[in-house]
Amino acid sequence: MSAATLDMGVIEFAHPLPGFPEQTRFTLMRVDDGGVLCQLCSLDDPALRFLVAPPTVFFPDYDPVVSEDALAELGITSADDVAVLVVIKAGAALDTTTANLMAPVLVDTVTRRASQVIVGDPNQPSAAPLVA
Amino acid sequence: MLVLSRKVGESIVIADDVTVTILEVRGDVVRIGVDAPRSVAVNRAELLLQVEASNRESASPSEDAVASLSKSLRDTQD
Repeated sequence: MSAATLDMGVIEFAHPLPGFPEQTRFTLMRVDDGGVLCQLCSLDDPALRFLVAPPTVFFPDYDPVVSEDALAELGITSADDVAVLVVIKAGAALDTTTANLMAPVLVDTVTRRASQVIVGDPNQPSAAPLVA
Repeated sequence: MLVLSRKVGESIVIADDVTVTILEVRGDVVRIGVDAPRSVAVNRAELLLQVEASNRESASPSEDAVASLSKSLRDTQD
């Protein structure tokens, strides 16, 4: 993901992240220069953040199937406008850190609307080891 | 909980614009069709619970954990 796509301003979730019904507005910030990790920081609750990353770095074959309705609701008309992020669960060490491939976060980089979409694929785990 | 009996091909309507139709019953598996506006999220309950739990466990990692992970990834790339 380029630096430009991070400069998205306020991201509005069309549906709140499951488990966090009150928080819908987030910003995306890079954790460090040159790294792939980013944090989704809630604007409604300053204490709430999620570690996220583009999945392709860690899971080159990851290609989640998302329903057309989910895309249409975000106003996504072109695949070029979609940033895909996965939520990272930080473990005590890298080898216990996992990514949620079952529910990627899709962000329309034009409309800045986002949604965590549950893909109905039983082969996509909610806790995939980040590094094999 | 409201409990209704339905036959295959019959539906129930929720609010103005959500229609749930029983498509097929085979053994202990029931196939259900849901016709709802795009703004209505429809998910399998157990998957939604799993994502909720995962999100709660992932939320707001400590600064130390983030810094440590970031460093480990940089070391891996080098």
